[in-house]
Amino acid sequence: MSVIDELTGELARLPGIGRKTALRLTFHLLKAPAEEAQRLSRAITAVRERVRACERCGNLTEQSPCAICTNTRREHGLVCVVEEASDIMAIERTGEYRGMYHVLGGRLSPLDGIGPAELNVRPLLERLKEGEVREVVLATNPSVEGEATALYLHKLIAPAGVRVTRIARGLPVGGDLEYADGVTIAEALNGRREL
Amino acid sequence: MYLSRLHLRNYRNFAEQTVELPPQGVAIIGDNGQGKTNLLESIYYLEIFRSFRGAPDEQLVRFGEEVFRVEGTLRAPDGAERTLAAAFERRRRKKKVTVNGAEPERLADALGGVGAVIFSPSDVEIVAGGPGERRRFLDIVLSLAVPGYVASLQRYRQALLQRNTLLRGNAAAALVAAWNEPLIAAGSRVVAARARWVAERRDSFAAHYLRVAGGQPGALSFDPCFGEWTSADTRPDAVAEEFRAELERSADREARRGMTLVGPHRDDLRFSTQAEDGSALDLRTYGSGGQQRTAAIAARMVEAETIRETRGRESVILLDDVFAELDPGRSQRIIEWIDSSDGGQVILTSPKPSDVQVHGHSLPRWRMVAGQVVPE
Ligand SMILES: Nc1ncnc2c1ncn2[C@@H]1O[C@H](COP(=O)(O)OP(=O)(O)OP(=O)(O)O)[C@@H](O)[C@H]1O
Ligand SMILES: [Mg+2]
Ligand SMILES: [Zn+2]
Repeated sequence: MSVIDELTGELARLPGIGRKTALRLTFHLLKAPAEEAQRLSRAITAVRERVRACERCGNLTEQSPCAICTNTRREHGLVCVVEEASDIMAIERTGEYRGMYHVLGGRLSPLDGIGPAELNVRPLLERLKEGEVREVVLATNPSVEGEATALYLHKLIAPAGVRVTRIARGLPVGGDLEYADGVTIAEALNGRREL
Repeated sequence: MYLSRLHLRNYRNFAEQTVELPPQGVAIIGDNGQGKTNLLESIYYLEIFRSFRGAPDEQLVRFGEEVFRVEGTLRAPDGAERTLAAAFERRRRKKKVTVNGAEPERLADALGGVGAVIFSPSDVEIVAGGPGERRRFLDIVLSLAVPGYVASLQRYRQALLQRNTLLRGNAAAALVAAWNEPLIAAGSRVVAARARWVAERRDSFAAHYLRVAGGQPGALSFDPCFGEWTSADTRPDAVAEEFRAELERSADREARRGMTLVGPHRDDLRFSTQAEDGSALDLRTYGSGGQQRTAAIAARMVEAETIRETRGRESVILLDDVFAELDPGRSQRIIEWIDSSDGGQVILTSPKPSDVQVHGHSLPRWRMVAGQVVPE
């Protein structure tokens, strides 16, 4: 197999990229100045080597604990629970939220064999035991799986005496947090309700 | 609005076929197995984007081919046109739907674009078949008529599937219970929509049945899995409350049986007529073949009315060999019903040329021979 085929094959495995696009990208990289391709290759290596999950919240970061967890000007008594680290970026872009995060790493889905043990549920409970957290905002997606996950966590957390809220349904039903626009997410956060 | 043009490529036994249809419609005559039903199926594909016969998309691709495509042009009285197209690729199992060349955001947005209703001999299954057949009928009508119904139904099915997976695996009660609210929220919207439709349409059903049956009474009612929902303003929150209570009551039984036992996946419709002593007689169990057929036709007539009222225009009526199994009296009354709906397009098929006189004698006749349409 030629190196051209090899790169095209690797690119085509990325989400949202078909064979045709992969081939176009490969030829683009061959035609562009060598420096451009090297920058891309270095960026890919660096991101894999330096980025990992924050030990405290699960956010993707170069330093653990992450910049959000160590920021003393943010509200440490408020924790927003999200499915994926990419959801944090979507919420941060709105600039409306000043609390902490907790990344579950997915949502309950019996069909895919994902139960509470497969998600970062226990670390969340341990965080709550420390006593600093006063409110947990459940910001899982509005899909049926996201709803079930929120309800399950609510039952689990409520006995700890922490206030539990759910982001409002400003989000399009069936839509994912990651793809919602900033205004929608901000409204959903502000309109969060008691479960 | 009528279907003015239909283009088929590699659909069932059609290789490549373009037909121009007149506003009043057409009568398609042809021997068995020539493609008459296939043609109607392809038209109705543009309405619900799947086979009305319940065939999987792969089966619709012409033998030995990879991709089928159906394209229909609808023309409004003012000459404005709209083009609906659907294509399916067998290998990648990919379906592409376009409206005027653009892909809709969701498939649900493009549902019901033709405004068609199909009458076929297999409709008798709506009355004589299992409850699944009747739910399928309801779900298609409501998907076409009630905004948001498809979304609720999909959410309900997804929640049901997830919850059943847990129950089958003997999961902890707390884990199962987490799925109750998503199940209830979507399920009660489904139940409420079904209840309202039946309540709004039962008088109309009774009138159609009475007329087609030549004086015998018939009735349609909703037979929900739980509760009694007979009002045309049944509210989802009222249904939700009862659904929740019902799930609580059945929790132990569900754990033992390993599946969800209550919910709209167990709803049914009831078709009945009156016995000599005035009591209701369930047509599924006790109806004669003719009575069952009459009830199915009345149900389709009610569907046609629903579609017409939702779209605000005459529906396109597709009749697949429906007169073959009816006595002349009933056939005549169906034709009168079609003619009374002044001038909507009618596309009918029959193996025999002498059969029918819809819209007077005005329907042009085409012959169907081995996937080829030939004007007579
Ligand atoms: N995927 C396919 N590719 C090619 N031919 C097909 C395909 N699916 C069905 N057929 C053919 O289509 C024909 C059936 O067509 P259709 O059901 O439309 O017949 P019909 O004209 O309605 O007949 P009848 O009067 O018996 O109802 C059969 O000959 C069958 O072999
Ligand atoms: Mg046929
Ligand atoms: Zn962190």
